[in-house]
Amino acid sequence: MGLLSRTATFVRYSVEGELPENFRDFVAERIAHFSFQDIDDTVDEYSIGWVAVDNMFDSSFAHASYAVGDYIILSLRIDERKVSKTLLNKFSFKEEDRLKKAKQIPRLNRSQRLQIREDIRLQLVKKALPVPAVYDLAWNLADNTVLFFSTSAKAQSVLEDFFRECFGLSIILQVPYLAAAHLLDLTELENLKELQPDIFV
Amino acid sequence: MPEDVERMDLVDIISEKKFLGQEFLTWLWYKSEERGGAVMLPGIGDIQVVFEKHMLLESGAGESLEKLICKGLQTELQEARTGLLMGKKLEQARMYLARGDYEWRLTLSATLFEYRNASLPRTVSSGDESSDPLAWEAKVLERIGMSEEIMHTMDQLYRLFLKTRTGAEWLQEKARIKAWIAGAAEH
Repeated sequence: MGLLSRTATFVRYSVEGELPENFRDFVAERIAHFSFQDIDDTVDEYSIGWVAVDNMFDSSFAHASYAVGDYIILSLRIDERKVSKTLLNKFSFKEEDRLKKAKQIPRLNRSQRLQIREDIRLQLVKKALPVPAVYDLAWNLADNTVLFFSTSAKAQSVLEDFFRECFGLSIILQVPYLAAAHLLDLTELENLKELQPDIFV
Repeated sequence: MPEDVERMDLVDIISEKKFLGQEFLTWLWYKSEERGGAVMLPGIGDIQVVFEKHMLLESGAGESLEKLICKGLQTELQEARTGLLMGKKLEQARMYLARGDYEWRLTLSATLFEYRNASLPRTVSSGDESSDPLAWEAKVLERIGMSEEIMHTMDQLYRLFLKTRTGAEWLQEKARIKAWIAGAAEH
């Protein structure tokens, strides 16, 4: 469903604010700084960063491969070590059972159970492989809009924060009311503000 | 952008102005059937807009939200038309659009203007699998261009709706939509 897929799913954002001077240098520096760092050989839980649209293992962007015409094209890659709730419950209960028997006590208090759960979670996280998710985007520099190729609310929220952190620019999802602002004159916009839902039957 | 828009939180805008996208999509269905699939865009001419057999209709909000999903080749959208009679509006619809030499199929969801499963026109470079960087760039630019083209076409349809909706002619247009919905019940 991404930029290079046979079918595409996307939403549009507007980019708020002025692009910095020396934009090409600025963007090269920011993309390099926020490029994806692999966590396969670490025990980190989470990593987020930019990779090339045509290769999720390319975060070096040789020859500024993200610059295509008047667009910046990037993929946002998020790797996360996840632990299923079922596994976490199983091994937490197992450890609680072991401790109760070892100490010969009927039950553990809440703080003990929470500590066990967190210890088990950390042990399982270290054993889990990072699961990757990749989302494409195309930033149109001529009209300062971004096409984001996902309708996942969670992915959109992560993108909005990461884009602001990386480029210092806010992006705003172009829902119908906001999209209207680019299509109408001032009088029509004033009328639009007053509109109430209508009934068609 | 109206001043109050800047102050309104996006979540509030989405819930308070949700009706705009739904009314637009419902109007577009009417508009596409008014002249047998041809919709006139000012300054451009006729484009083809045909609603296909997958729709989601909604009415109400919060706890009183009701949804009606219609799909299948044999339905002829009759259930969806009945849904309109019950006061529901379109939240999501699969449609075919043709403009000039190009054709798109996509599902548009009204509240957030999401373009889903959009099949873009096949072009000369669509099937080019060469490793030539210039050919790759051309292919990428064409795919972005085709995605933007369908959005710009939808923008023009949306502008046509907004100008009618915020203008004096809305009462007449609404009467025609009502007659179209009532007519659907007779079939």
